Amino acid sequence: MATVHADEPAPESAERPREAPAESAPDAGSGFAAAAADPDVALMLRCQSGEEAAFQDLFRKFSPRVLQFARRFVGSEARAEEVTQDVFVQVFRFRHRYRPQSRFSTWLYTIATNLCLNEVRRPERHLRVDLWNRRDGEERPEGPPLPDPAAVTPEEGAAARQLGQRLEALVAELPPKQRAALLLSRVDGLAYRDVAEALGSTEGAVKALLFRATQTLKRGLRDYL
Amino acid sequence: MMRCRRATRWMVTALDGELPARRRRALDGHVARCPACRHEMATTAAVLQGVGGLATSSEVPGRLEQATFRRVRLLAAAEAERAATRAWWMRLRLPALGFATAVVATVAVGLMRGSGDRPLAPRPGDGGRRVVAQAPTKDKPPLVASRERGGPQATATVPAEPPPELAAAPELFVDLPLLRNMEKLEHFETIRTTTLDDGEEQSNG
Repeated sequence: MATVHADEPAPESAERPREAPAESAPDAGSGFAAAAADPDVALMLRCQSGEEAAFQDLFRKFSPRVLQFARRFVGSEARAEEVTQDVFVQVFRFRHRYRPQSRFSTWLYTIATNLCLNEVRRPERHLRVDLWNRRDGEERPEGPPLPDPAAVTPEEGAAARQLGQRLEALVAELPPKQRAALLLSRVDGLAYRDVAEALGSTEGAVKALLFRATQTLKRGLRDYL
Repeated sequence: MMRCRRATRWMVTALDGELPARRRRALDGHVARCPACRHEMATTAAVLQGVGGLATSSEVPGRLEQATFRRVRLLAAAEAERAATRAWWMRLRLPALGFATAVVATVAVGLMRGSGDRPLAPRPGDGGRRVVAQAPTKDKPPLVASRERGGPQATATVPAEPPPELAAAPELFVDLPLLRNMEKLEHFETIRTTTLDDGEEQSNG
């Protein structure tokens, strides 16, 4: 069983590499400056002017992350793909609402988070979650099982794989907002300010969400720590 | 001196690099002195590192890409069609507005005509504008004739001669109470032509 040595000093690598917080520029010409600095903003501005190729480039760049993000909120692979598709259709439909003063990924994850949280709140999904609760010896009643994105390579050993699976399961059990805050911050590398914007909340609330989520994970991983 | 409870609450923020420098120094100082918090910090770091190690992306199937592009193309086509329809309608908007305004004005004029305006007293200096109101008879509704356009107010001068139909039937107004009491209105002319300025001049003079 993989264990984490808690007596060691906090490793430097625990500090995540993250995106710089989006700079807000008040002047009208900041859109061009932002486009020059951020290629995603440039793509989005081209998409606003009607370039289909720009939208396709944005899709190819961000859809893998959005799909992975959606998978952690919905109960099936098919539904995760549908949510991903909905996210990018919304991006296109409301492309004129995007302002280049904020980072494109923040805006994208705002849409993705809203759709995923709506998905979690759907009453049909509560029923599906019950069906998804595997009992001993039972097969999953519908759809293929979710691939295990945290599965480590065989070289890293079964213990690490078990830890990853346990962690993935604990994350899936978190309340939706805590889960969203944790994934956006730690997995997708958004700054607290951008996480707050994506959740429609404040930085203080984000800190509280992350604290509670981490405490829950620590309790769930007690056997591994 | 920092307490362990506050230190614990700051740990996640510190490990995410979002804690202000002053608080980070305070936290580091406390962790250096407190073994329990040192253990808690390491545990928190390990958990966050594990979360950070979760997969960030997954392969997108080709069918998802094609389905998304197809939906977006349909959406773009629908937007273009709506824009073209709106443009056609907008081209007619101004002429339609002008037509509607003309209709409303015509209806308003017609209503005002039908309400039977009475003759208006002539204003000094308003020569050339006159409204002649014919007295209603049994057969004819009251008419307003010769109203000039453009003037916001219609002024009238009293005709020197009555209309022919009235002149032919002078007995029509014999019993009117106004005519019977006309001799009482001995100052009528004075009342009609006196203004406030005249009153001031008389008092000052």
